[in-house]
Amino acid sequence: MHVETVAPTDGGRRPGPPVLRLGRTGRWVRIAVTLLGAALLLVGTLVGQDDDFPFGPFRMYATADKLNEPVRDTRLRAVDTTGRTFALTDNATGFRRAELEGQLPRFEAHPELLGHLATAYARRQPDQPRLTRIDVVVRLIQLRDGRPTGHYSQRTVVSWSAR
Amino acid sequence: MSRLARWFTDPVPLGRVAAFRTLAYLFVAADLVLFTPWVRMHADVPGALYQPLLVGRILPLPTPGYLLVTVTFWALLAVAVAAATGRAPRLLGWLVFALYLEWMVIAMSYGKVDHDRFDLLVALAVLPTVGRARHGDETRSERAGWALRTTQIAVVATYFLSTWAKLRFGGLDWLTGATMTRAVLRRGTIFAEWSTHVPHLLVVVQFLIVAFELTTPLVFVLRGRWHWLWVGLMYAFHVMVYAAVTISFIPHLVAMASFLPLEHVRPVVRLRRLLRRPARDPVPAD
Repeated sequence: MHVETVAPTDGGRRPGPPVLRLGRTGRWVRIAVTLLGAALLLVGTLVGQDDDFPFGPFRMYATADKLNEPVRDTRLRAVDTTGRTFALTDNATGFRRAELEGQLPRFEAHPELLGHLATAYARRQPDQPRLTRIDVVVRLIQLRDGRPTGHYSQRTVVSWSAR
Repeated sequence: MSRLARWFTDPVPLGRVAAFRTLAYLFVAADLVLFTPWVRMHADVPGALYQPLLVGRILPLPTPGYLLVTVTFWALLAVAVAAATGRAPRLLGWLVFALYLEWMVIAMSYGKVDHDRFDLLVALAVLPTVGRARHGDETRSERAGWALRTTQIAVVATYFLSTWAKLRFGGLDWLTGATMTRAVLRRGTIFAEWSTHVPHLLVVVQFLIVAFELTTPLVFVLRGRWHWLWVGLMYAFHVMVYAAVTISFIPHLVAMASFLPLEHVRPVVRLRRLLRRPARDPVPAD
């Protein structure tokens, strides 16, 4: 890279700030990197998935909704050694609800994985009684014209119990 | 050299990239503590629930545990704050990029991927290549120009390509269906609730959103007043989205600052002037 002072075009009354130019190689390497990144992003958008982060498709709020189809609401219900039943929050386990929804097929195939959430709960709440049971409950909330009708159906899709 | 090649490396003042760098690195620090504090909670989640993304499998990155998450958190916080001062820009810049990428793998490898920070990652990847840049330096540099241009391209690509994702995953229903109605019903504010009662209004809004996203590349073609109008439009879009459904894309807004003449924003200089003034013009004693 070399420094080059560019004379202003307006007759040279005041010299403009100097310009630091790139060398030939530096310039073309940079342009190639930009084009390569753009190509990866384009491929990711066309055929990629979330797994290809950061080059996956920008699918924020990309799904379309129908106003008369039920909304799925997934949550965790836990029972501890005292017999208390309560809803497990994101903060209680460090595992977010969206993550639970993302890995739901995996939990359904391997219910024992829910035991790890009991471990996470114990790590985050060392003074609380341990969990003996975790259920994944899916609630289907009925909508009409996009508004909840007040009716819903609920079922437990996967369960884990401590031995 | 072709005009297009010049466009990719159009020189900008070094002071601009210095200010942008400080902003980006301060955001990284704030992101750790304020904006996405939940990432740190993954320290307590057993490794069996870690489902590494492609990048985590290729590199290959270790399975996060308490130690890895805690060390990454504190190291990234310290390095980001140090990098924000502009010292050792290459070493600290590459460290921030590597640590933030690892932080994102820790964040998004448990079943949920967010899409609001591609352009910020691009900014963090290109900033270390600029090297030394002092705040307020008017010297124009092609290295700085390339870094900001590449970030700008990533910002515009985020809009432009998200329309493709809408058509790919939502189909034409995204435009003609109840997409916005659902969003307003779920998280609408007092500024937006009325809109669900006006027939077809939100469908029109959906078309306007796509029209806006598809025309963002014009920001590179337009000149003068129109150019700034488009930059303003991009920020205004997010103000409206936030007011309507409280969804913000803060990392994206930070990357978008690559369009702004940030070299004129000199808070430290102003503060110094403010502090010096009483000494120079002593207030007469009563």
